[in-house]
Amino acid sequence: MTWEYTEKTMQLFMDAVHGKPSSHMGEIADPDGFGEHGSIACGDALRFTFRTERDPSDPLRDRIVEARYLTFGCTSAIAASEALCAIIEDKKCSPVEALEITNRDIVDYLGGLPEAKIHCSVMGAEALEAAVFNWAIRRGVDLAALGIDITRQEQDEGRLVCKCFGLSEPYLRRKIRELNLRSITQITNAVKAGGACTSCHHAPGGLQDLLDEAWGKQPTTMVSTPSLPIGPQPAGGEPELSPYQLAKRVEKVLDEDVRPKLQHDGGDLEIVDIKGMLVYCRLQGVCATCAGATSTIKLMVEQALKDRVDERIRVINV
Amino acid sequence: MSIVYADNNATTQVAPEVVQAMTPYLGEQYFNPSSMYEAARVPAKAIADARATIARLLGGVRPDEILFTSCATESNNAAIFGAVKANPARRHVITTAVEHPAVLNVCKELERDGLEVTFLPVDARGRLDVADLVRALRRETLLVSIMHANNETGVIFPIAEVARITKETDPGIVFHTDATQTVGKLRIDLTGELAHVDMLSFSGHKLHAPKGVGALFIRRGTRCRPFLVGGHQESGRRGGTENVPYIVGLARALELAAETHESTEERIHHLRGHLEAELTARIPLLQVNGGEAERLSNTLNISCHFIEGEGILYQLSEHGICASSGSACTSGSLEPSHVLSAMKVPFTAAHGSVRFSFSRYNTEADVDRILAVFPGIVSNLRRLSPYWDVQRGCPRPEAEHMLRSPDGD
Repeated sequence: MTWEYTEKTMQLFMDAVHGKPSSHMGEIADPDGFGEHGSIACGDALRFTFRTERDPSDPLRDRIVEARYLTFGCTSAIAASEALCAIIEDKKCSPVEALEITNRDIVDYLGGLPEAKIHCSVMGAEALEAAVFNWAIRRGVDLAALGIDITRQEQDEGRLVCKCFGLSEPYLRRKIRELNLRSITQITNAVKAGGACTSCHHAPGGLQDLLDEAWGKQPTTMVSTPSLPIGPQPAGGEPELSPYQLAKRVEKVLDEDVRPKLQHDGGDLEIVDIKGMLVYCRLQGVCATCAGATSTIKLMVEQALKDRVDERIRVINV
Repeated sequence: MSIVYADNNATTQVAPEVVQAMTPYLGEQYFNPSSMYEAARVPAKAIADARATIARLLGGVRPDEILFTSCATESNNAAIFGAVKANPARRHVITTAVEHPAVLNVCKELERDGLEVTFLPVDARGRLDVADLVRALRRETLLVSIMHANNETGVIFPIAEVARITKETDPGIVFHTDATQTVGKLRIDLTGELAHVDMLSFSGHKLHAPKGVGALFIRRGTRCRPFLVGGHQESGRRGGTENVPYIVGLARALELAAETHESTEERIHHLRGHLEAELTARIPLLQVNGGEAERLSNTLNISCHFIEGEGILYQLSEHGICASSGSACTSGSLEPSHVLSAMKVPFTAAHGSVRFSFSRYNTEADVDRILAVFPGIVSNLRRLSPYWDVQRGCPRPEAEHMLRSPDGD
């Protein structure tokens, strides 16, 4: 898949990796707001920090004057982080006003993002929100009193729907509405849910059920069917001895007749498996590396087992 | 700026000799090889010659054991679905967790059809444990499909041994190998070392023939039903008018690979070794995926911990260097490479993997161009990474535990 990024996205990425002065790459020491989103396991992670000019009398009139990021992620994740910082610094707004910035603003700033990369912009908006909540705690601002639901992150604890990316039912329910996600593909593009093993797509209580719950049931054409595993059965012929008895007899013969001879020469033999009349052996020690001995020993082992256990036995070198 | 093409496991440049061999059949020799008139003899003979050449170069098999297809994906589909159709009484298939999607997803499709599939694991070095295959074999096993070499890491599987064990266990089991990455790179001897292999797939565009042509070796007597059903072409085993120019090109490409095998192998091995040694020396916390296993001489798969692969590829591309990555952002899925995941490569590395793969057209100058920019690209991205301590040139203390594999071992 080749790159379908806008000029702006590529420009921001290249400026960042080359450490241009215009870049917002970095981390503010002792920041006024600190937020993180994503993880290395998921493939991208953003650490976002900002510094404010504090208003001596009213924290609500603090102004964000500087924003910095450190990002582990792809080209568009890094560009989206740059965009987030640039938008905030341009606005010179208060942290509470910054909450109005959405992932859409980041996408627009970049002049668009490929559908499959929308989650990069969502990551930016999530990290910003976390940083503002962090600022509120540091400054003793009661966001709830301003009508901002600060408990929603805690409320996101709940049953895991997407186990691959660790996303819960309350979180997905909220994101489906906030970001107006109408299909499983849109959910995956925005928050990654269902983007790996895909088993949560049509499972009971899975992504399709959450979509149906939010938007009403749509007629579906595709139903995934579970696989039908067929239980294992024993292989090989039908020995008169039980498989356990046969294995014991094989071991006994090898211990008495075969292994002492091999050990005498500095080698040994291990049974890997027995299936019906097939005995899988692995030579060890000097025998393992001796190409000439392999077939001789196979014949010797096989003959001993044929003579003393069952004439139908065959030995396979592993 | 000239291109440094180091993505030959994805596709290769078409050899000029191949183009030359194909040209008549794209021009005046357009006749349908199945037609009766005199003029059709020329393309018909060209196909017969190509089939004989390929049969000879795969170890002297019978020409009628070679089937032409459109690509390796078709060959794999034909082999697997064909074997399943021909053996309805058996319902179990064995493959590995690291196959190319052209085998892996076909096997997942079989699961949906109600068959049982065992996906053999690999160890952290990318190697298969033959004992796992032994334990997986059962009375109702109908097919074992194991790739010859892995496209991402270049790790070579002991196909001669696993094929022998399979056929010694039960000659009724069909043994198939996807040899797309090895035909043209390793010597293939289907009457000697690989005498137990029943079916072998490969394609042209990995060995300097064009895209759109592949082949499937089916040993005489192997139970396999046709996949692409149609006319009498390929003795009724694969319908569709023969793609004459491409079949001619495939045979010519295989000839060239055989002629240049020795010199190429030695040179490529040296190029890869030089690149690997220099990168390992210059970049901290770089791991070579599959480096401790036997692997193809042309492939180098490395992971730079704590950075993401797509950003690396993008910057390489800015310098005219073509490579690929197992990162989630380049795969079209959100998961990193299934091969590296099966090897339990830690997440810090799986997302930052880069694969360089060489061909006989690569030179020492190519390696120098990569070496001139790659360490800088890695440090650029590490500077941006929340997990990397730029001053100390190592991971931040709180990130160090992430270097362990997902299982914690």
